Amino acid sequence: MASVTFDHVSKRFGDVIAVNDLNLQIADKEFLVLVGPSGCGKTTALRCLAGLEEISDGRILIGDQVVNDVAPKDRDIAMVFQSYALYPHMSVYDNMAFGLKLRKVPKDEIKRRVGEAAKMLGIESLLDRKPRQLSGGQRQRVAVGRAIVREPKVFLFDEPLSNLDAKLRVETRTNISKLHQQLATTFIYVTHDQVEAMTMATRIAVINKGILQQIDTPQNLYDRPDNLFVAGFMGSPAMNFLKAKLDKADGKLYVDGGSFRVEVPADRNSVYAGYVGKQIILGVRPEDIYDPHYCPPGIFKQPVEGKVEVTELMGNEIFLYITTGEHNLVARVDPRTGARMGDRTQVAFNMNNMHLFDPDTERAIR
Amino acid sequence: MYKHKYRVIIPFLAPAVILYLVFVIYPYARSMYNSLTSWKGVSANQPFVGLYNYVRMINDEFFWNALIHNLQYLLFLPIIIISLSLFLAFMISQRIRFSKFFRVTFFFPQVISIISIGVLWSYVYHPTIGILTSLLQAAHLEWFFQIFGFEGIPVWVGDERTVRIAIGAVVVWQAAGFYMVLFLAAMEAIPQTFYEAAIIDGANRWHQFWNITIPLLWDTMQTALVFSGLGAFDMFAITRVMVVSGSSQTRPADVLATYLYEQAFEASRFGYATAIAVSLFLLMLTLSALTMRVTRREAVEY
Repeated sequence: MASVTFDHVSKRFGDVIAVNDLNLQIADKEFLVLVGPSGCGKTTALRCLAGLEEISDGRILIGDQVVNDVAPKDRDIAMVFQSYALYPHMSVYDNMAFGLKLRKVPKDEIKRRVGEAAKMLGIESLLDRKPRQLSGGQRQRVAVGRAIVREPKVFLFDEPLSNLDAKLRVETRTNISKLHQQLATTFIYVTHDQVEAMTMATRIAVINKGILQQIDTPQNLYDRPDNLFVAGFMGSPAMNFLKAKLDKADGKLYVDGGSFRVEVPADRNSVYAGYVGKQIILGVRPEDIYDPHYCPPGIFKQPVEGKVEVTELMGNEIFLYITTGEHNLVARVDPRTGARMGDRTQVAFNMNNMHLFDPDTERAIR
Repeated sequence: MYKHKYRVIIPFLAPAVILYLVFVIYPYARSMYNSLTSWKGVSANQPFVGLYNYVRMINDEFFWNALIHNLQYLLFLPIIIISLSLFLAFMISQRIRFSKFFRVTFFFPQVISIISIGVLWSYVYHPTIGILTSLLQAAHLEWFFQIFGFEGIPVWVGDERTVRIAIGAVVVWQAAGFYMVLFLAAMEAIPQTFYEAAIIDGANRWHQFWNITIPLLWDTMQTALVFSGLGAFDMFAITRVMVVSGSSQTRPADVLATYLYEQAFEASRFGYATAIAVSLFLLMLTLSALTMRVTRREAVEY
């Protein structure tokens, strides 16, 4: 058990900067998810921590110890690879025992630990099998088991679910969360899937182009994104971004997008005061756009007119793809809505949950 | 399926089957028969003598002499060639400096004809103008060979104590590069993540080589073992080129292939030579089957 610190860590491959001045403090027993699009440097960051890549700048600490020059085997970490990397010529038992054998752990101790881990993961009956005789889900569990038996300070997961089918992925997600509670150890988990990040993490670090965008709890990240990238990356369907201008009339602020003009809640007036008369980007999540007939009471709603281009029924909700003027937006509305493809319709923006972004800096205006 | 599918299949298969029957199966069968005759190779007369040739072979000390030499090669050559080429392949796969240069250099003997190699090395081993002898003389290493009972620097191919070592060394030099390339290709096919997983598990270079590389190269090593084993049973060309046949009464360089060649083309004992050839064939067949059986492991896939 230990904390992990990235202190101004950079990693360059020739001219390419994979990780750019990364600062992270990961607390003991935390479940931190590094999330970002492919090629954003999240896996590289993890590999730097594992010691598979040498860092170009900065320091990495595990606990209080700087591990820059510590060999991977002495960092007391275990890693689950995306491809699982199970040794194909060894049985499941030997795969799990390999690291312990190399560390000269006594035989009966190895047996005990492998037995316990196998029981925890429900793979006791597979111990004599070879990896190729296992299904994808079983391989994944063996890969986790191999990490568990080592009883490391820090667990590293590199997209461990991306080779599983959708159903199994959901199941395994919960299992990994349970495992984190049982083991009470620091987990660092890399994924490109924001749903995995939202569901499992105690904190999420969003990375783009090698740069840390924001690190916070899943709820805060979702509710208060720092910039356009984070706002657009977290949530599905993604947040709607509408280019508009901030106006002032009769002491009230309005967001004017040409085809729509919506009023800003009065409590935000002071925050946005500096942007009056300027171009801004309005951010509205699809679930904050309602069919006016099925709109919950007590929200500050503003009407917007538009044309329904496409509807997608999801069962418990309907996605409406709406155009208004030059803007496209997605609304996630009650399935009882009367809106049909091709209709002109009116929807309501929940302005309590609005976001404004500066179009130049792309940062949230707060 | 088609009712008359054989009407299509037979004409397509026929040419290959006929060629195979005429040029492979028939000669094999014919050799088996010839080995039971005392055919002289030129006459149409092939007197049937039953197993006489085989009895004669069992009582022929030169046959055993040649066979023992083959077995000596078999004992040492595959092990030396495979360990050396594995070592070279591992070193080169570690991306040491000039690894491309070494790769080409080590493979180079493979593209030279075996006859040229024989001639080349005959000069290297030459007792008066050979580079090896000259170098050893220049280094004053006579004392080293005296430990082993030599009068001075050995004459290599000319000495019955060293001739098979000399020839064997040439074969190692010639073959190592080929097996190195074979192993290199197999090593490069092993996914890097296995090594990374092993590194995190605490494996050093040696552990990785022993626990990951070797087991995953097993299939290739099996092939290499069979090939080099068969090579040790051949040795015909290199021996013929480097050693003048009949130059010594004790026949220190003979292998089965050169002995049967002599019996056939120099002594005109085709019946007897064929009997040796048939034995050689059976020996090689047994050897391959045995090697495959003994080294059999579950196939791995990744």
